[in-house]
Amino acid sequence: MSDYRILNTRAPRVDAVDKATGKAIYTDDLRRPGMLYAAILHSPLAHARILNIDTSRAEQLPGVKAVVTYREAGTTPYGVSPARYDETIFCHDKVRYVGDEIAAVAAVDQDTALEAVRLIKVDFEELPIVLDGRTAMDEGQPLLHEMHKNNMCAKVNWHFGDIEKGRKESHIIRTDHLSSKMQDAAFMEPQSILAETESNGNLTMWSSTQAPHYVQRTLAMALNIPLHKVRVIKPAVGGGFGPKASCSSAELAVCLLAMKTGQPVKLTFDREQVFLHSRARHQFFHTMTTGVKKDGSLSFLEHKCILDGGAYASFGIATVYYSGSLLGGPYRLKNMKYDGYRVVTNKPACGAQRGHGAVIARALFEVQLDRIAEELGMDPIELRLKNVMEAGETTCNELYVSSFGMREALEAVRDSAAWKNKRSSSGKIRGGGKGIGAACGFFVSGAGYSIYRSRTYHCTVVTKVDEVGGGVTVNSGSADIGQGSDTVLAMITAEELGLSLDDVQVASGDSKLSVDLGAYSSRTTLMTGHACREAAQDAKRQILEAIAGKMSVAPETLDLKDGFVVSLAGEIDFSELRKEYLQEHKGFVDLPDGPQLTFAEASRVAFLELGTIVGTGKYRPPPLGGSFKGAAVGTSPAFGCSAQVAEVSVDLETGEITMDKITGAHDCGFAINVTQVEGQMHGSIMMGMGEALMEEIIYDKKGRIVNANLAEYKIPTALDVPPLDAIIVESNEPHGPYGAKEVGEGAIMPVIPTILNAIYDATGVRIDELPVTPERLMAAMKAKKDKKG
Amino acid sequence: MLLPRFDVLVPETIDDACAMLADYADDGVRILAGGTDLLVDLRRPIIPQHVPRCDGCPTHPEGQIATTIECEPSKSDPLMSPEGSIRTKLADPKSAAPAFLVSLHKIDQLKGIELLPSGGLRIGALTTISEIERSSEIRKDWTALAHGADSLGSPLVRNRGTLGGNIANARPAADTVIPTIALGGKLTLQSSSDTRTVAAGDFPTGPGLSVLKPGEIVTDIHLPTPSPHSGSAYYKMANRKALEISTVGVAVWMVLEKPGGPIKDVRVALGAVGPTPILAKSVGKVLIGKVPTDEILVQAAKAAAGDARPIDDHRGSAWYRVQMVEQLTLRLLKSVLSGIENDR
Ligand SMILES: Cc1cc2nc3c(=O)[nH]c(=O)nc-3n(C[C@H](O)[C@H](O)[C@H](O)COP(=O)(O)OP(=O)(O)OC[C@H]3O[C@@H](n4cnc5c(N)ncnc54)[C@H](O)[C@@H]3O)c2cc1C
Repeated sequence: MSDYRILNTRAPRVDAVDKATGKAIYTDDLRRPGMLYAAILHSPLAHARILNIDTSRAEQLPGVKAVVTYREAGTTPYGVSPARYDETIFCHDKVRYVGDEIAAVAAVDQDTALEAVRLIKVDFEELPIVLDGRTAMDEGQPLLHEMHKNNMCAKVNWHFGDIEKGRKESHIIRTDHLSSKMQDAAFMEPQSILAETESNGNLTMWSSTQAPHYVQRTLAMALNIPLHKVRVIKPAVGGGFGPKASCSSAELAVCLLAMKTGQPVKLTFDREQVFLHSRARHQFFHTMTTGVKKDGSLSFLEHKCILDGGAYASFGIATVYYSGSLLGGPYRLKNMKYDGYRVVTNKPACGAQRGHGAVIARALFEVQLDRIAEELGMDPIELRLKNVMEAGETTCNELYVSSFGMREALEAVRDSAAWKNKRSSSGKIRGGGKGIGAACGFFVSGAGYSIYRSRTYHCTVVTKVDEVGGGVTVNSGSADIGQGSDTVLAMITAEELGLSLDDVQVASGDSKLSVDLGAYSSRTTLMTGHACREAAQDAKRQILEAIAGKMSVAPETLDLKDGFVVSLAGEIDFSELRKEYLQEHKGFVDLPDGPQLTFAEASRVAFLELGTIVGTGKYRPPPLGGSFKGAAVGTSPAFGCSAQVAEVSVDLETGEITMDKITGAHDCGFAINVTQVEGQMHGSIMMGMGEALMEEIIYDKKGRIVNANLAEYKIPTALDVPPLDAIIVESNEPHGPYGAKEVGEGAIMPVIPTILNAIYDATGVRIDELPVTPERLMAAMKAKKDKKG
Repeated sequence: MLLPRFDVLVPETIDDACAMLADYADDGVRILAGGTDLLVDLRRPIIPQHVPRCDGCPTHPEGQIATTIECEPSKSDPLMSPEGSIRTKLADPKSAAPAFLVSLHKIDQLKGIELLPSGGLRIGALTTISEIERSSEIRKDWTALAHGADSLGSPLVRNRGTLGGNIANARPAADTVIPTIALGGKLTLQSSSDTRTVAAGDFPTGPGLSVLKPGEIVTDIHLPTPSPHSGSAYYKMANRKALEISTVGVAVWMVLEKPGGPIKDVRVALGAVGPTPILAKSVGKVLIGKVPTDEILVQAAKAAAGDARPIDDHRGSAWYRVQMVEQLTLRLLKSVLSGIENDR
């Protein structure tokens, strides 16, 4: 369909071989001369006043180079949302969850560091704890933070349209609930950090982060170092999914230890620390009342939600907004009310995780649509098709969808999964242990605003043409965390410059290279993609202008293709250029002798003319969204949408659930790399499946995680994942580079409700508490039977 | 690494291993087979209470025994005794952080699966779970054990983990142990001073606890000669299809007098529903001597459920586990019966 040579193909990832052969360098692989090892003292208590910290025994242990607490670190507040900075590098007055950071040690080896941490004596006065998010705001509950009155750190009260009017127009109104559990993102690579200072006071930190830029800012702010003296480098990263998108206490602590000792310091989390640090999915308690007219068109949604976010605000402010705002699409919904409360409790802090804030809200809404379809006697896919938005429409909360393949996606999964043969059109359930269900989703393609509300460019790209000629290097601060953004940048650059992928080098993930807000909110392909294209075009223009001048032709008549300069205006005489190039390369073999001027020749001669050639590109979204409070969250230059169909088998006597198949269709605008789009869809489905069926952090009554390891915290194994059919819909997004928009998070949105709806079809029971374990399903089936019998 | 420091001793014969265990007893010594349980147990947790198995060998932050760590039976490992505490067993502080590990991996006498002239089977304690999984003899005549091996961990864990380790570790959910008990397996235990035999069902005495004395090695496992008209099966129930500790595991072994009945002998062993694997003795009382009918099998399954002693924990509640014991026992009795009939 396209004239592209590189884009829209299944080009292998630029890092594939290195990762497959173990050559890729992750932070924990790094070693520096004189490197020390850090360990952190985590609070064993969920809520306590710190009376005294005695580090003297730790300091005396041979091999210990530094012990730091709040006394050394200071108490500059930091966090994610500037209005809610509620963290300090170390606890000073209180600890607020089991795992809260109290002190850190640097020592000559890890054993010594760990031993030293054990020698730090902390006197606590235990305080009563808050564990249940539903009652955290109640009067008389212990207070975690002075700044979060009633343990509420953010609330949203929105009313768009008129829900009373919607209520009056409704033929069916129903109210349902759904709650979930806190989760872990279960990325493969535990957080790892290495920091080093130079004699001029510069600080470099290597970290497995998703957002070098934000981390750089927080380090500079909390450690009080000029921003330009802080450099954050992201080596290869083994997954992030959100929890690595903000600066952590551990990152700050390791930098502080490096500054104190003047030596490089490293810390790699144990898996248990990944769970303790968390910053993963919140716990949600949703209640929704939805009304529809007789014909199935939506008349209103009234939505209440409490988000239990653990001990600190982290990303939670954005989370509570996203929970409400992203229900504005993908259906036409004129009247929507949302009351969201984000509370703090004595558990590890939650933050952003794939599908930020919107996943459980989406799950309940899509379940409601199925229940309404059943009451109406309507096919649930028909009900959805009746309500889907089309490109060019704006949601009631002022989100403008410039491209929208929702209808195509829904029809694609319906047809591909042979829905009509498997599901009765009257909306009746199949029962008997076999079920099929469908759902849709809607997600941003990059947050419309930076977290620190500024006019900053969201990304810049600097593409430097090799001075020797022949290749280019793309310099970008963007973060490839395994999702493949480096490959996207290489493909865009190769496409624009007519090069092969092998001649494009991508240097990324380094705050010194360029500004880039990082890998979150599914922004990189759209935003950095724009900047990357602009940079490549800028470089190309300079090369072509330089050689056109030499040959006395108009630069517009020249183009770069397949490694050559092509002329659109008949033959050109490039003999002078070639002569100069050959002159420079005496003794080389395989020199160009063909009928076309090569890119190597053109770029070298252009350098001889101009000096270093650097193309630059930048991107920032136009002002977006309405003017109401919180209108910025949920805005995006573009929106992705997905539909999925799940087929399940349920053992009616044990509650065991087997996923038989999931068919998904996602509108990514345009697939820059087809395999990578499918990969994001597959990964999203697996992750959503885990959330639907098995993942939950379990706490004991003292706020300690019972299952802080990957044996007891279950994510799907390869054997649990059914055959997946990934269908790509391309709606050609006008605001995306080449028409591209997101796929990284949008594809997770329909997974949970698709599975819940399929389980209902198989069993006739609804579960309003996630995950749906065999036991919960069994209990629900038993309750239904008991009621009948 | 969050492992304590230790030295590894590598004997080449059982006698040498026994001698080392005796010699280093005072320094704290433990046996290392595949290490898939031991190394997990030895790992020092970041937060002491995070030890997922509080009946194992939790170490105090200072390397001492966890006398101050409270274990709450309802919230911690199901597999620990309902009464709760772990403190009693860990009398010797050194056993928590051993100075020496005696690795068995070079002892050939402990390896191999061998059909005995009697028709029985000897399995060396160091035989890996993968080797059991691949053995056609075991799959044919001691089927439940093959099922147990199939369901343990993942291919990587099965390649390292051993039958002896799974037994000696004495977990109530151990996937090869439940079948071994149902099959009437016997274990040989050897020390520098003694060799003795115990029934597999008598070996575990509590979660992580067994009759194994300090200095003793499990050397081999004997499975009896298969009777005519007999069969066995094991089913592990869990929330995912691999890398799981079961919510409930049930193994059934049955012998008929002749095709079509009556039942000559039966054993049902239950996993993860008590502090040790449980031999559901009431099942025999219902079934032995009876011609199998649907009603009597249902009764037998109820009897098995009555023998279960589960607790509520994060892997499942007691009511669900009891229900599953009944359901799985019924299914397995039926499938073993039809297996025997089809074998004719
Ligand atoms: C990821 C993972 C998944 C797992 N999944 C399962 C599962 O699904 N089902 C299951 O039952 N188990 C499971 N396990 C536990 C473990 O793999 C098994 O129990 C395995 O069989 C242990 O064997 P090993 O050789 O590794 O034992 P080791 O760890 O070497 O030893 C275990 C214990 O037994 C002692 N010991 C070992 N051999 C002997 C001997 N011959 N005589 C006396 N004492 C001895 C050791 O001193 C130690 O106390 C899993 C473990 C892991 C890490």
